[in-house]
Amino acid sequence: MKKVVTVGIGRKSFVIDDDAYQRLSIYLARFKEQTGMGKETADVMEDLEERIAELFTEALGSKYQVVNISMVNTIVSQLGMPDGSSMEDFSTPREEASYRPPVKKLYRDSDDKVIGGVCSGLALYLNVDVVIIRILFVVALVVGGTGFWAYVVFWIVAPLAYTAAQKCEMRGIPATAENLRKFSSYR
Amino acid sequence: MKIMNEINTDNIKSQMRKGVLEYCILSILNNNDAYASSLIAQLKEAKMIVVEGTLYPLLTRQKNQGLLSYRWEESQQGPPRKYYSITDKGKDLLAEMDSAWEEIVETIAFLRNKK
Repeated sequence: MKKVVTVGIGRKSFVIDDDAYQRLSIYLARFKEQTGMGKETADVMEDLEERIAELFTEALGSKYQVVNISMVNTIVSQLGMPDGSSMEDFSTPREEASYRPPVKKLYRDSDDKVIGGVCSGLALYLNVDVVIIRILFVVALVVGGTGFWAYVVFWIVAPLAYTAAQKCEMRGIPATAENLRKFSSYR
Repeated sequence: MKIMNEINTDNIKSQMRKGVLEYCILSILNNNDAYASSLIAQLKEAKMIVVEGTLYPLLTRQKNQGLLSYRWEESQQGPPRKYYSITDKGKDLLAEMDSAWEEIVETIAFLRNKK
């Protein structure tokens, strides 16, 4: 028994094994990243997805009902990357990267900020509720004003989490395609 | 040393193919309108591309440059698909590319025959 996902590709729907789905998401994210044509990238991805839908339909025929990892691998190596490199070229560094435990860094959170995003950044770093940090800062501000200077120092020291990869680092989660998409500003 | 040479040869060949890929797309579409999948099949048959991924950014760029256009055509199975055709602007460019190509071929022939 395997977990399956239903996805829409090229305006068709497919039932796909979970591991095959992960593989395909990574491929699409990397293809998109390498295309790098700004607004036009969406058009490229549309054509690519249309082709993937076509190839899935061919591969499924009438025998199978679920897209599996070997179908995805075959299709991904057939499609390759925009620069003409193949699947093997980009799967190696990725597998190395996944062995590395995710790093956690202190950033300022651009998505949830009142002033500079210092409190929410600290909250994510320390894994506590942002409200507690905010209250502590306000208390420290009222009692002697150290809260103000602490805030200024954090503001200067901690960079703003701007890219999706930085937002993953801020939360200490691995920068997988899934996670990157979650925090990507252009969806 | 031999391996180095092989890599360079492959690289030069692939650079050459890349250079004329846009020319090939326009040439194919000048004969017949085509689905992306049929374009791919023809280019693969001619050994112009190895992986399909290189083609999609090119198609989009040529479309946005006004060299190609597409319409949605019903297909027998599943949703309608993009059916590409060459525009007048594309034909103009193709004519220019044709003469540039002739020139290159002549130049190479001339250089090879010169003693």
